[in-house]
Amino acid sequence: MRRWLREQFDRYFGSDPVRLLFALGGLFFATLVVLALLYWVVGKVVTAGLEAWGWDLVRLLLGLLGVMVVVFGNALFLVWAERKVAGHMQIRIGPKEVGPYGLLQSIADSVKLLAKEIITPRFVDRPLYLLAPLLIFVPCLVAMVVIPFDARLQVRDINVGIVMILAFSSLTVLAIFMAGWGSVNKYSLIGGVRSISQSIAYEIPMLLSILPVVMMARSLSLKEVVKAQSPYWFVLVQPVAFLIYFVCAVAETNRTPFDLPEAESELVAGYHTEYSGMRFSLFFLAEYTNIFIVCALATTFFLGGYKGPVLPGVVWFFLKTYALIFVIMWFRWTFPRVRFDQLLNFSWKFLIPLAMANLLVTGGLLKL
Amino acid sequence: MEVRGPIVKFGVLEKLLNLARANSLWPMTFGLACCAIEMMATTAARFDPARFGAEVFRPSPRQCDFMIVSGTITKKIAPVVRTLYEQMAAPKWVIAYGNCAISGGPFIFEGQYNVIEGVDKVIPVDVYVPGCPPRPEALLEAIMKLEEKLTGWRRFPGPERRW
Amino acid sequence: MVAEDLIKALEGGDLSIEEVPYQQRGYWFDIKAPKDRIVEVAEAIDEKGYYIEDILCVDYVDRLEVLYHFNHWEDPRRLSVRVEVAPSEPELPSIWRVYPGAAWHEREVHEFFGLRFKDHPNLAYLFLHEGIDFYPMRKERVEVPEEDRQLLNYLPAAAEEDTFWINMGPQHPSTHGVLRLILKMRGEYIEQAEPVLGYMHRMQEKMAEVRTYQQYYPNTARLDYVGPLAFSLCFVGAMERLCELEVPERAQYIRTITLELNRISSHLLWLGTFLLDLGATTPYFFAFDDREQILDLLEGLTGSRLTFSYYRIGGLYEDLNDGFLEGVKRFVERMWKRFEIYDDLVTGNIIFVKRTKDVGVIPKEVARRYGATGPTLRGSGVPFDIRQAEPYAAYGDLQPEVVVGERGDSYDRYLVRLEEMKRSLRVLEEALEKVPEGPYKLEKVPKKPVPGDVYFATESPRGEVGIYIVSDGSDKPYRLKWRSPCFSNLATFTEVVKGQLIADAVATLGSLDLVIPEMDR
Repeated sequence: MRRWLREQFDRYFGSDPVRLLFALGGLFFATLVVLALLYWVVGKVVTAGLEAWGWDLVRLLLGLLGVMVVVFGNALFLVWAERKVAGHMQIRIGPKEVGPYGLLQSIADSVKLLAKEIITPRFVDRPLYLLAPLLIFVPCLVAMVVIPFDARLQVRDINVGIVMILAFSSLTVLAIFMAGWGSVNKYSLIGGVRSISQSIAYEIPMLLSILPVVMMARSLSLKEVVKAQSPYWFVLVQPVAFLIYFVCAVAETNRTPFDLPEAESELVAGYHTEYSGMRFSLFFLAEYTNIFIVCALATTFFLGGYKGPVLPGVVWFFLKTYALIFVIMWFRWTFPRVRFDQLLNFSWKFLIPLAMANLLVTGGLLKL
Repeated sequence: MEVRGPIVKFGVLEKLLNLARANSLWPMTFGLACCAIEMMATTAARFDPARFGAEVFRPSPRQCDFMIVSGTITKKIAPVVRTLYEQMAAPKWVIAYGNCAISGGPFIFEGQYNVIEGVDKVIPVDVYVPGCPPRPEALLEAIMKLEEKLTGWRRFPGPERRW
Repeated sequence: MVAEDLIKALEGGDLSIEEVPYQQRGYWFDIKAPKDRIVEVAEAIDEKGYYIEDILCVDYVDRLEVLYHFNHWEDPRRLSVRVEVAPSEPELPSIWRVYPGAAWHEREVHEFFGLRFKDHPNLAYLFLHEGIDFYPMRKERVEVPEEDRQLLNYLPAAAEEDTFWINMGPQHPSTHGVLRLILKMRGEYIEQAEPVLGYMHRMQEKMAEVRTYQQYYPNTARLDYVGPLAFSLCFVGAMERLCELEVPERAQYIRTITLELNRISSHLLWLGTFLLDLGATTPYFFAFDDREQILDLLEGLTGSRLTFSYYRIGGLYEDLNDGFLEGVKRFVERMWKRFEIYDDLVTGNIIFVKRTKDVGVIPKEVARRYGATGPTLRGSGVPFDIRQAEPYAAYGDLQPEVVVGERGDSYDRYLVRLEEMKRSLRVLEEALEKVPEGPYKLEKVPKKPVPGDVYFATESPRGEVGIYIVSDGSDKPYRLKWRSPCFSNLATFTEVVKGQLIADAVATLGSLDLVIPEMDR
């Protein structure tokens, strides 16, 4: 009986355009329903107690919407930008035909991936395999909530924002390992295991390099950190911490030269071999969002956040963040991969002692 | 090639999807022999398929769109080709690049025991590119032909339309 | 000298040693040994420091003749040891305990001719696919007997505790070609590596027996498609040696110029793909850009970009076209400046240095016992180069200096190849001055060579290429055997990679510069 049901389901919903159509239709109706509810709620709130905390709720919802726009827009932009930057560094031009200057390339890629057959191999560990692409997104969204894009453009300023971001970034590791373990495949497993070791090894120096910033700003909230950078940016007083943080950021997002878990030419695969179609593109979306987040955090902690002379704060924020993203891309196309034991040695034997020394020196100087 | 045809087809949606697919064809390199070097030369800076969106060479077959079979198919590698083709996610296409992939190439002789005469005895092929080895421009033309097969119109005018 | 000492040591009994004219046959000493004394002879040869070049078999229908070729780094006079085996008892002792590199050669002889080697560690099939039930290279069809059929399938033994088998499959995202490596891993460390070859076995040697010499010639370019001219020259040179033809000077100089251009383009391709293996994607594009300049020149001259069919027996296909020498001069000037880019981007890059220093160290003794040649050998500190040892083409006049490394790790092999490109540029500069006028090919070339056998060796970018042709006076070869440098180089890999990480295995494999169809023939 179950098999007959499954066959009927596959017959009608097996082809992906149909599935896509029903998904889009469902989304459309769901959006309508949600918007209707929203309208009703906002209406109730507005009529009930606007002055009390109504505007706050609206502001919260608008902020979340803005965050989603930033996430998807960023991913689309970075897909195109990466290929263009890669092209120009490799004495060729990147995408050129698909729209003016190749700007529609990301859209073509996304639509193609949406409409690809989603293969779930029979032997995978279903819950882990299916949850991993979704779970890898959660830390990104959480981190976006607390990043201050401008003096008043921050969805919620939580007074322990830094701790929250660092705590949730460990979830990425978990998701990658779920992907590696769940696709029952030796190479994915090795990729997942390597990614755990790498992420753990590089989270510690990241934390240790953020602590001097916290000590200087005397607060864990991101808004305060940016405000404390009034006369001078923290990068001028903490260059070592900035460099350590940047290296750890590259390692945390699994980018070359630390991209062993991901795009190995060594073992054919990585933790996302067995994923196809939309699930695969979710991994990539999460990777690009992670890059944006770590660069945004670097800007917030060290480069003064949204502060800058003439232009509005938001523009400065994005300029600084994208400058750092450009540097990360530059690394990718310049350096070969680091060997795994060299990677771990570098972190445990060099970065952590350096970060601790930096912390002690900062503490000592602050006391004086 | 479609694995299973859809029951409900929306013309405009199919056209849009095919347009998107044609502009972002991701190849899987199945570089076997001499033609693999010409394929690598195509991906290099002079003849650049990245302009058409075909630059991302994914290592895993599940994430690619089409397979460029470049090189001789021997009896030992035929099951591997079949497995890789079956692992690819639909919709998928195959370009047989070079004489060996079309029909065994210069390695056919009376009493030969190891070469399979053409990759279309193992997997279905969409575009054939003759040559030994074909020039990189021929591979770009093959990608154009594949796009034409998908969308129905060519990106640049072909040689037959020039006059 | 070494050869004379060896002959004194081996004299007597049922061994017959004769000196052979090199200019006609390609080797110096011909030793005929009975089959039960072959291990003794191999031990004597090993003691004197010879390296094993090749083991091959020829099927004269009434007898099978197995030839062992040895050569020496300091006294490069080739030895050819012949052993006759009756087809009714196809058994021979194996010399793998003396020369471990013989193991693979003997496997190949076994699967193509049906000879069994006693005490061989693993006589499983190397090239042929499962289900083949005859010995392909025999002149008449000989079926594989029942008791040998279990050797057709090779599967690794069950894994012990804490180890697992992993497969670097025939499809590589990096461009090695179709090489399959079965690795036995303990955690991240490799305990044993077993290459599986034969995915690109295109029956080049069998095809030679049904094609005439002129018809077979284009196949020589398809063996090693990255550096095809060395293989073409090997075949053409062997025929010229057999028929004792005197090739005009102009043809020799042009051959040298094209060979050196090919060497540079092959090393550039190796550079690009080696760094692609290690993860750096940008030098690949720069290397291919430089390579395209060379291919433009050669395409204007020969008409094809990759598989050139430019040489003919007795000279060249066509004389130079107008812009070629000018173009080469301009290319040489441009290329000298490009080395700065590679030095900046790659040689000084600390990540690259740490990935390749002390990785895949091949000691001299291992290289000798396996027969490694080319930059793989020179990286370990041995200044052996066929262009100096047995000069061919115009190398007698234009002595190229031999580049030598120190330690034999992957970084040294990289430096050796980079330096070889520079030396090639100097040879090109010199040769451009000296190209003489004159005819570019011989007028009359015999269609049927005299009966006999001949060996010819050249230096391809990967090592020493050799060809052994047995001619019976007709217009088709009776037997043709290629000595492939990558085959011997890969055999050293199995020994060198024990105890390394997978990342190191990838770096080592890349630094060996393998082209698979040349191994699989």
